[in-house]
Amino acid sequence: MTSYTICVFTENTIGILNKITTIFTRRRINIESLTVSETERKGISRFTIVIRHESRDAVEKLVRQIRKIIEVLAVFGYLNEDIAYNEIALFKVSTPIGAKPLDIETINKVYKAWVVYWHLTYVIIQKTGTEEEIFEFFDYIKPHEILEFVRSGRVAVSKSPQTLVDYLPEAEWEYYQ
Amino acid sequence: MGFNENQTATIQASEPVVSVAAPELINGSHAVIQSLIAEGVQTIFGYPGGAIMPVYDAIYDYQDQINHILVRHEQGAAHAAEGFGRITGEVGVCLVTSGPGATNLVTGIADAIIDSTPMVCIIGQVASHLLGTDAFQETDVMGITIPITKWNYQITYADEIPEIIAKAFYIAKSGRPGPVLIDITKDAQQKLMTRPFVHKKCEKLISYHPRLSPKEDQIAAAAKLINQAKRPFLFFGHGVQISNAEQELIQFIEKTDIPAASTLLGLSSVSVDHPNYVGWLGMHGNYGTNVLTNQCDLIIAVGMRFDDRVTGDLSRYAKQAKIVHIEIDPAEIDKIMKADAPVVGDAKRALEMLMPLVKENNHEAWRAEFKKYDVIEDQKITQPELAPTTEKIKMAEVIRTLSNKTKGEAVIVADVGQHQMMTARYYQFRKPNSFITSGGLGTMGYALPASFGAKVGAPDREVVAIIGDGCFQMTIQELGTIAQSGLPVKIIILNNNFLGMVRQWQQLFHQKRYSFVELQNPDFITIAKGFGIDGHTCGAREDLNASLDKMLASDKPYLLEVLVEKEENVFPMVPTGACVADIRLE
Repeated sequence: MTSYTICVFTENTIGILNKITTIFTRRRINIESLTVSETERKGISRFTIVIRHESRDAVEKLVRQIRKIIEVLAVFGYLNEDIAYNEIALFKVSTPIGAKPLDIETINKVYKAWVVYWHLTYVIIQKTGTEEEIFEFFDYIKPHEILEFVRSGRVAVSKSPQTLVDYLPEAEWEYYQ
Repeated sequence: MGFNENQTATIQASEPVVSVAAPELINGSHAVIQSLIAEGVQTIFGYPGGAIMPVYDAIYDYQDQINHILVRHEQGAAHAAEGFGRITGEVGVCLVTSGPGATNLVTGIADAIIDSTPMVCIIGQVASHLLGTDAFQETDVMGITIPITKWNYQITYADEIPEIIAKAFYIAKSGRPGPVLIDITKDAQQKLMTRPFVHKKCEKLISYHPRLSPKEDQIAAAAKLINQAKRPFLFFGHGVQISNAEQELIQFIEKTDIPAASTLLGLSSVSVDHPNYVGWLGMHGNYGTNVLTNQCDLIIAVGMRFDDRVTGDLSRYAKQAKIVHIEIDPAEIDKIMKADAPVVGDAKRALEMLMPLVKENNHEAWRAEFKKYDVIEDQKITQPELAPTTEKIKMAEVIRTLSNKTKGEAVIVADVGQHQMMTARYYQFRKPNSFITSGGLGTMGYALPASFGAKVGAPDREVVAIIGDGCFQMTIQELGTIAQSGLPVKIIILNNNFLGMVRQWQQLFHQKRYSFVELQNPDFITIAKGFGIDGHTCGAREDLNASLDKMLASDKPYLLEVLVEKEENVFPMVPTGACVADIRLE
């Protein structure tokens, strides 16, 4: 199974998520993670979807089917080496009075994670990194009781010099404003 | 009568508070109808109901400009719009209400997307403040229809109407055509627009650019393969008819002398008399076309999508051949068959661009190979079918007699099953744009409504629906529509008192365990007469000619029921999972 990151640029209107996910559902492809936000261009959303699949051919077909959605402006399928990518995770870790204190220096310097909220009996730690880095930290912090753990979807940007303007020229966009 | 008076009346009825509004402002319902008129729509197939009543109130004022055909079930509206779209190439329009009105359309919409048929469905929806409250006749139509529409959109403001309808027509008709659904909340229909109505045709969208002219390098690569091939074989599909490429296709096969075979939906694009036409492909297609698919060295696929009913077992399909795939939908390229030379674009443009690059050629010896198989097929299947010794009439002889009497020039609308395959096999199409059937979805009940839709689109042509006794009972109520609209469609029921195709499979693959395929049928002629449609039952071979003559001579709708052999099978046949070369003759 190879990890693929699919970036979809769409008009920012109601129901597009549904139109995209139905294409995955029909082909029985599970979405591992999903992130949506507006791009630097107003009115254009960017979906970052991570899937695992054994067939590159099937992923290419999936990409072409997504491109057929009328509101979709562009779709790109990437392998991990094609992109810079990251996720963010939050850990709520128990710190009861009398328990072994957290090693904040190691957390900061070794794991590049930060305490973002202090409470008398717990802290919330934010860790940014790849899925692997986040789970490395997960294993480190596990001996302290993890009360809650949440991981965001992946955000990814292609390493190629191409920008949004290259496949969606400014002039074209102005025409529709 | 002046438009303004009526318009004011409507506004006062639905919106008494704003009756003082400036006269040039119209409400959403009038905007819907005016948009349709501006798009050139002359006929709507529809069925009224609560959430679409404001639009129906508006249509009342435009009856001199728009012909509304009242169907008996919304599925009928969808198939009628499909029939209209298929024969004209223009967008068929349906108008229905929310909830059950919309869900009844779903089968027709699914049919239209898989058979690339241009259609715009306008659907009423509960008022916007009720959305999501499980209001009376509220259904999430947007959610339901996402996978089966080319585009769908929910309108909640009257001001959106002109632009969205223009966009709907552009999307439905351009590129690879398909169904578009517009869901309009009742308040958007009732409220006044806040600005004067202006219709501007949509010609361009930021995110949708169907490619018409193929890239020149793709054309050059395709031409090279075509010129090198020793045994090239051209397949043409529905795309040829959609892009009106019949002339270009004929010029192409004449210059290159390449044999050409049709898919089910490609039938009639090339006349059966053309020397390069070698038959049709697929499960019940011809013997030679299927066997030689696995002996050609190049397939030139024009506007077709390698459906599994064409290919049979893919792992043993045309492995020896290179593929040139001319197709307007880029998602079809490499979907089933890897293309050695993909050509993305409109079939007509692609063939025009290929013409100067392909060499004149002579493939007489290669074409003669098809004839050898034709002789075998003729002896083993066609002749026995057409000159049977059975007591009961056989489907094939009905179709061929009809074909002869109409000179192969009628518009034939076939339903789904054995009679459909027999129609495809034995009607000798001699005029382009003459065959309408549900190919991809295989929707039983398609033909009766599609036939009057086609008749609306082609009033000067003879339109004959060929329907099985099972299919007929799926949309039988549309006899009421035909009677009320007076559209003179001719209906032939090939009645074998069986769901024949399922029965055939049960016979061949399920040890003749006939599980729920025998039908106790009503007296179809009495039913037709109840609707005010004349009809006749033909049960004897010697009566067949006269029966068909009488049907064709009628200038009114007419139902001819032919009692046919109960247990006949359609052959040749490529059983599911078999290889095309292993096509069975018995």
